[in-house]
Amino acid sequence: MIKHLKVILLIISVTFFQTTPSNANEEVSVSGISYDEIYDPIEPINRAVLNFNFFIDDIAIRPIVKTYKFIAPEPVEKGVSNFFSNLKEPIRTVSFIFQGEFYKSFNSVGRFTINTLTSLGTFDLASRIGMEKNETDFGITLAKGDVSSGPYIVLPIIGPSNLRDFSGDVVEYFVDPISNNVPNREYIAIGNGLNERVEIDEQLDKVRDASSDRYEMIKSIYYQNRNAQLEEEYIQNLPVPKIYIE
Amino acid sequence: MKYFLILIGIIFSFSTLEASEVSEWFEKESNQFLEIINNNEGTESDNYEKYKYFISKNFAVKSIAYGLIGEKLINNSSDKELSIYLDVFTDYLIKTIYKLANSSTSGSIVLKDVDVKDNIYIIKSIISDKKTSANLYWKVIDTGTSFKIIDVIVENTSYFVTKKSEFNKILRKNKGSLEALIIEIQKI
Repeated sequence: MIKHLKVILLIISVTFFQTTPSNANEEVSVSGISYDEIYDPIEPINRAVLNFNFFIDDIAIRPIVKTYKFIAPEPVEKGVSNFFSNLKEPIRTVSFIFQGEFYKSFNSVGRFTINTLTSLGTFDLASRIGMEKNETDFGITLAKGDVSSGPYIVLPIIGPSNLRDFSGDVVEYFVDPISNNVPNREYIAIGNGLNERVEIDEQLDKVRDASSDRYEMIKSIYYQNRNAQLEEEYIQNLPVPKIYIE
Repeated sequence: MKYFLILIGIIFSFSTLEASEVSEWFEKESNQFLEIINNNEGTESDNYEKYKYFISKNFAVKSIAYGLIGEKLINNSSDKELSIYLDVFTDYLIKTIYKLANSSTSGSIVLKDVDVKDNIYIIKSIISDKKTSANLYWKVIDTGTSFKIIDVIVENTSYFVTKKSEFNKILRKNKGSLEALIIEIQKI
């Protein structure tokens, strides 16, 4: 079954990555980062999935998240967030090796060892002693290998992604040393998903209120955040308006 | 060599002076902004007026509004249409900031760093309350008489980039009609 899934994903990836222009967007900023007209060939399906996700969120996930945020004291919330983040250090280590970032890879190993041994990952002691957390994943690894983002996709329950990042997630699922070696990995996946939902709760509330088109807003925010992880001078290179006399 | 070093020194002292001016301006205006957020006991229309004054004074509203629709549409629109669009957008910007500020808890904004690129100041600050903190970047221009904000970036999300993609979508859906965009903005 897994073999079949891998073959299907490979075919989809190769097809989309080859037919997608290397730059999938129409308007490109000076820095090469593009934001306007993000390649979105299945927009009607994506919109339907996003509406479905908001529906499920409204009736099931949001009430759980709000109750959890109301009940759980701040240190507990932080501890849970640290715990799930720590579980990702081994896969970050692997990603950094593929990116040729060996120092960051060693840093991730060190962080995982220190935080697991001292608090099972619930307290980020490593950061306190100067071993800062570096975020990465297999989607970033593919991007650094010049793989184009492919079409934008909204996944049921999971949310916004693109073909490259989704492929990265699938690879992570199969090679993650942690989740492949623990019983009931689905509970970890659900816990991690809920934790990520808790972390973006306030932003999501704002998106609900402050947007004329929440689909476009979420898509734009998703790409901006991914680009920020890829580009060192991201803030400096963001497009700015032409200046008119005020 | 000596003249070169003097020239470098002069340039450096000017940029340092300007950076300190923009820092001073930022400290003053961010404190005023926090004051507005924290003193929201008046009527809704009083509070709205305070935000209106603050935004008109400190934001490059015209540059942001025009930047969001692009030069092609500006050239194809009449002065009257552009004037209506500018009024509607200004109201929209005030309401957006008013709403976001109202849903936030009071806290502090601390200046961390000022960088300059292509005559645009990039001010890095940290906004925090009792529970959370976030990186907040401000892109600011010097108009000669004052400093004006052209973009606000919360963590990695730029207001200008996000709104541009939203406005582009509306314009594409309505065959580039500014009138349709105005109607859509008014609906929010």
